[in-house]
Amino acid sequence: MPEISLTVNGEQITKSVEGRTLLVEFIRETLKLTGTHIGCDTSQCGACTVHLNGKAVKSCTMLAVQADGAEITTIEGLAPDGRLNPMQQAFKDHHGLQCGFCTPGMIMRAMALVAENPEPTETEVRHGLEGNICRCTGYQNIVAAVLDGAKALRS
Amino acid sequence: MSNVKIGDSLKRFEDQRFLTGRGRYVDDINLDGQTRAVVVRSPYAHATIRSIDTAAALAMEGVLLVVTRDDWQREGFKPMPTKSAVKTNADGTPLKEPPRHALAIDRVRYVGEPVALVVAETLSQAQAAAEAVEVDYDELPAVVDPVQALAPGAPQLWDGIPNNLCIDFELGDKAGTDKAFAEADHVVSLDILNNRVTAVPIETRGCVAAHDAGSDRYTLWNASQNVHANRDTFAEVLNIAKEQLDHIAPDVGGGFGAKNSGYPEPVLCLYAARRLGRPVKWINSRSESFLSDTHGRGQTSRVELALTRDGRFLALRTSTVGGIGAYAWTVGPFTPTGGSARTQGGPYHFPAMHYRGRAVFINTAPMDPYRGAGRPEATFQTERIVEYAARTLGFDPVELRRKNLMPPEMLPHKTPMGLDVDSGDFPLLFEETLKMADKADLAALRAKAEGAGRKFGFAIAPYLECTGGGPKEHAGVVFNKDGSIELAVGTSSTGMGHETALAQILAANLGVDVDRIKFRQADTTATPLGGGHGGSRGMEVGGNAVKQAADEIVELAKPVAARLLQSETEEVEFADGQFQAGASSVSMNDVIEASLDSDKLPDGMEPGCLDHSSVFERGVISIPNGVHAAAVEVDPETGVVGFLGYWVMDDFGKIINPMLADGQVMGGVAQGIGQALLEDIVYDPDTGQLVTGSLMDYGLPHADEIPNMEIGYYEGAPTKKNPLGVKGAGEAGCVGACPAAVNAVLDALKDYGVTHIDMPLTPMKVWKAIRAGGKHDPHGLLGDAA
Amino acid sequence: MEDFTYSRPASLSDAVAVHGNADDAMYMAGGQTLIPVLKQGLAMPTDVIDLGAVWQLDGIAVSGGTVTIGAMTRHAVVAASNDVGRAIPALATLAGGIGDAQVRNRGTIGGSLANNDPSADYPAAVLGLNATVVTDRRELAAGGYFDGMFATSLEPGEIITAVKFPVPEKAGYAKFPNPASRYALVGVFVAKTASGVRVAATGAGQDGVFRVTVLEDALNDDFRAAPLRDVTIPEDNLMTDMHADAAYRAHLIGVMTARAVARANGRD
Repeated sequence: MPEISLTVNGEQITKSVEGRTLLVEFIRETLKLTGTHIGCDTSQCGACTVHLNGKAVKSCTMLAVQADGAEITTIEGLAPDGRLNPMQQAFKDHHGLQCGFCTPGMIMRAMALVAENPEPTETEVRHGLEGNICRCTGYQNIVAAVLDGAKALRS
Repeated sequence: MSNVKIGDSLKRFEDQRFLTGRGRYVDDINLDGQTRAVVVRSPYAHATIRSIDTAAALAMEGVLLVVTRDDWQREGFKPMPTKSAVKTNADGTPLKEPPRHALAIDRVRYVGEPVALVVAETLSQAQAAAEAVEVDYDELPAVVDPVQALAPGAPQLWDGIPNNLCIDFELGDKAGTDKAFAEADHVVSLDILNNRVTAVPIETRGCVAAHDAGSDRYTLWNASQNVHANRDTFAEVLNIAKEQLDHIAPDVGGGFGAKNSGYPEPVLCLYAARRLGRPVKWINSRSESFLSDTHGRGQTSRVELALTRDGRFLALRTSTVGGIGAYAWTVGPFTPTGGSARTQGGPYHFPAMHYRGRAVFINTAPMDPYRGAGRPEATFQTERIVEYAARTLGFDPVELRRKNLMPPEMLPHKTPMGLDVDSGDFPLLFEETLKMADKADLAALRAKAEGAGRKFGFAIAPYLECTGGGPKEHAGVVFNKDGSIELAVGTSSTGMGHETALAQILAANLGVDVDRIKFRQADTTATPLGGGHGGSRGMEVGGNAVKQAADEIVELAKPVAARLLQSETEEVEFADGQFQAGASSVSMNDVIEASLDSDKLPDGMEPGCLDHSSVFERGVISIPNGVHAAAVEVDPETGVVGFLGYWVMDDFGKIINPMLADGQVMGGVAQGIGQALLEDIVYDPDTGQLVTGSLMDYGLPHADEIPNMEIGYYEGAPTKKNPLGVKGAGEAGCVGACPAAVNAVLDALKDYGVTHIDMPLTPMKVWKAIRAGGKHDPHGLLGDAA
Repeated sequence: MEDFTYSRPASLSDAVAVHGNADDAMYMAGGQTLIPVLKQGLAMPTDVIDLGAVWQLDGIAVSGGTVTIGAMTRHAVVAASNDVGRAIPALATLAGGIGDAQVRNRGTIGGSLANNDPSADYPAAVLGLNATVVTDRRELAAGGYFDGMFATSLEPGEIITAVKFPVPEKAGYAKFPNPASRYALVGVFVAKTASGVRVAATGAGQDGVFRVTVLEDALNDDFRAAPLRDVTIPEDNLMTDMHADAAYRAHLIGVMTARAVARANGRD
């Protein structure tokens, strides 16, 4: 089995993995970071979104071995001390989550979106979230949260 | 005094763990020695099982067990029961309830039906072995359309169930309705499809089952909306006492009805766990979910409206055929019958109504509740025929509705469907919704759309629905020395925020700070009974159970307060967290503290004397109502629909937490819009194969397809049916959205002569309707079957 | 998913060598299609050769009227590239509309072309712009590269290294997404070049991407959107599925072409 070394939420990790192990399986089962979720099998729902070297990717559509040498951030890495970051806080303030299952992926995508475009319009946010499906909220409060989170992150 | 009150938009307690990735969903649970299970599913819509050979699978690395029909028959396990509230045909005979076993016994009747369960050390071993289970099938003809299934010569799913008819149900005054139609100035009649859809909670179904041989007790962690009812079903199947099974729902990632049923997979895992003496985990894949989750809607109806010359409604007549899948699932036969009958006619005054509903077996996945379960169908049927009448008879759609709404002075009123409509102001909500839309300047929206070459449409859709689900709920309260207050309720939040709203009710009624409350739900070990989630019952039944418990705790606390106040119990009054006797008062906080200290208690009372459980039972179901309005634009070149505005006025009675109520409405509207415009479960009519077997073909709404909604609440007519005065909020968004969206699109297409398109209004269907220029057979769906 | 031997060679020659020594090897570029295919068991290679570390394959260069894009260049990079945006803005627009943001961060032009999904976007640009597909062993003109649905003229073991796009006078791309998958139900790339107009449609044809000659003829006469309304697109050989039948796809080809032309002419 190949051995990989990578940084996950700031921690240096070296592990053996099978070639076929998906990054999301590695994160959830090997590293026990269960905040990253699996909601589909056709790369559409976005619940598994993590950051790979600062960019949002779907961890169900990447092999763990491909992350060798990379820096990965998962939802657990955003609030290591339990204090919500401004985007997480905005989701809470705007009721941008209900069941919470899509939420980690949604927030990881939102953080990347705001990093690419710190002052997005509502249309840009709605379009920018097209790789993430939420079945609970009707998106309205998610969009409000991302716009507000972006503002808080700017200041 | 509490730091919260009813009506505050209290932020959610559950959010902290969900936002930081520390939620605990069933797939996050891993037990020592855990094995993995994979279901072998039928590849055929209808076939006889000749043989099942498990030898090759059992010989594979890591494989521990393959469960088949042989085990089921040897163990004498029972079929899973239907719990439909309607079980009687119009002629008084019982419905047909063929045996629904967790595993197919002699025949498979839908693609995806469980045939075997393979358990192995790892998931990939189980998956590989599932491929190696050899099942020899003899394929039979299949039928997936319920109207075709009723027709002579159709493939028959069950021996001894002619024409695949499960139940033929009627409600209302047939003679009176027929008479009204015969005498009416105008009669309109239209066949309407309510397309088959599925809930697609983003967390798929899954469970972890364990068995302790020493005590012969089972524990099941299950992504369930209804732990108590499911526990009873599983215990019945396995021939065990229900006390032997602890059923726990951890955090559940959405449900919308699809996690309500007693499904086969958990009971298979319970059995496998007992056989192996090791925990068994099963997680459905998304593609398997499309095959094996319950579906919703799936009704074909002929709807007829009789009117006077000046547009007064005289009678409504509906005949529905619902395809419930191959089995009478948990409540499957109820939805197209009683479930869709009750709220026919909506908030309009109808002197006469008659409803006929037939539930029909077809070779598809089962039908069970989906957000609204019958009320969205009834509302859609009513609002479509009203719109169709307006369009074809030349009435203004707004005026026609305005003229026929029940005025408040007519309430309370029992509708011809037997629905007890007690409170509300339908005309007021109608006008308020129009005002909201007018503020958005519809003329300007129209001008902008038309300037860009698009067609503008607007529609208003009043709705009236009712609550449902389990009528009883348990609330247990325990006061701890560390100051925390435990609240255990048998409801089941799959995202609605009960952890916050129910704590809010307890805190506000006890007059304590809400942060002290620790919430526990959906756990049969914590609550002796519970009704789970369904029928918008969370606040209506669960909330009232909590209020009742709080009120009773106040009474229990009065003797404690009296001693502190050096007064008599009878003299103690309670308000705003304070017990008062004459000029002196003591806070609930102090009374709680005293209740845990034997030195401060009256004689005969023990520490913990305020710990209390209460069971609330709903008397009569509540009637949420409201009005939706939508403005859309249609690109006639492509058929693409876009929203320009969406407005909602709801009467949910008293609102516990407006932020949470908004969330329910927004999510419900999004699901309604999804059904109206893009969601569709499609089976191949010849083979019975599922065409929409993944998110590649089953369209879900994305962020750029759902509009912002403006939502208002009317709290001027709370119901007296329950102490909180609440009417239920969970499904209403889904009830109003389909007619608002569809009628708005059809309004946009009126210049083309288009009067009807069946859901979903996909771009292709809209474009084809424009091309057909209104040519449409209003009786093209039911034909003679009506 | 069946297990396989994973390798991540650092050079083209190493990658080809690994492929030659394996029983049944597949190259992996961005993996955004290959990994779902492996998950579903639709392919079970013995070896997966990750091209992510092959240094020769990345990057964008513009020179002498040609935009050259390395095969491993991610869609997001093409979409954000100022060089591409200046030279062939329609190509950047196309790349920015593939899949979703997460997919664009992984998916590559070489992977898209090697897979040749009939609903993929890039084939329309390659055929529409008459681009050249460069491999480790030869150069293939667009017209000879595509060989039907999921089929190309790549030989076993052959690796796309880059794509060379001639800069057109003007170009536009318009896509009508599948309501569920958001792949192209119909995508049309229109390019006006010195040697004439090319119109390439993806998502619609039973044999994958194809040139729509009736529209090319009309646009060679008059490169405007409005006259296209009178052109009838033949339905022969167009796909039919639950989201669009051949008649609707034929119609959408006309509409998307008109929109692509409007964009090419600077009128959106």
